[in-house]
Amino acid sequence: MSGQKKQLLSFLFFCARFFLGGVFVYASYGKILHPDAFSEAVFNYQILPDHLVNLTAIILPWLELMAGLCLIIGWWIPGAVVIVNTLMIIFFSALLFNLARGLDVQCGCFSTDASEEAATRLTLLRDSFFLVVAFFLVYRVFFFKKARFSAD
Amino acid sequence: MSEHKKKIWIQAFRQAALFILVSVIAALAVNQFRPGGISIIGDWSAEARFSDADGDLMIVSFKEARELFINQQVIFIDARSEKQYLEGHIQGAVSLPWQRVDDYFIEVADRLDTGKPIITYCDGETCDLSHELAIFLKEMGFQNPRVLVNGWSLWLQAGLPISTGSDTDER
Repeated sequence: MSGQKKQLLSFLFFCARFFLGGVFVYASYGKILHPDAFSEAVFNYQILPDHLVNLTAIILPWLELMAGLCLIIGWWIPGAVVIVNTLMIIFFSALLFNLARGLDVQCGCFSTDASEEAATRLTLLRDSFFLVVAFFLVYRVFFFKKARFSAD
Repeated sequence: MSEHKKKIWIQAFRQAALFILVSVIAALAVNQFRPGGISIIGDWSAEARFSDADGDLMIVSFKEARELFINQQVIFIDARSEKQYLEGHIQGAVSLPWQRVDDYFIEVADRLDTGKPIITYCDGETCDLSHELAIFLKEMGFQNPRVLVNGWSLWLQAGLPISTGSDTDER
């Protein structure tokens, strides 16, 4: 691979890290601030058993915050990429599942406001874009020929 | 897989496990000590979700709501957004969008004060706007407002009378 291509890839990697890290930190903010409202959003998805709803609503935003911050700062990037991808796949599947079964629920992705409009295909499209960015991070960290993340 | 890549994968999963551990500890600790923290295992039963501050159940059955409507012995209040209300609502229902209740309440308060029972509704099994609105109306002094869970969908399915547009046309 030419030096120019490598440089471009490194630049894209930096942008993707910063962008997705920012998205995750932003998404965690409202949820950490309003755990009661977020627990309702989690409940409304009707995927988890009732006794896991609150626990998920308490822990998930912190995981988003930590992974997002690490992506931006550049600490523990391989671990953060695994967390971000796992979460994105879970979020995307949950949205897709509920849209497919016609359940009219709020996304709860960035806002915990119960009166926000229900999630639509547009929400799914937005999440698809985030998913593509997350997959690019996986490629760069784990499959790039000369990954610069040393295990030492 | 090369030795180097294998190392990165192992490193990644170790870090991910630590992420989870630290997040769990931070989340539980903050939730424990902050104001507004929630219980770790919540009560999500219908009784808990649709009760008022005294623990009384606020749900009205669809059958009873329909009877009251036919006998014109009820005021329905639509808790959804104004846009959704204009697109279609239970015939005669008053619009009081929960997200703008402070703006709308004074305007409609007189029309609700007829002595007839009040039933709030929104759309979807999990929609909570009507419940929040019913609690608010009770606090405002209205007698026993109740919630028709998933009201709009049930009403449509049953083919009961609906209207579109502003309710000034109906009055």
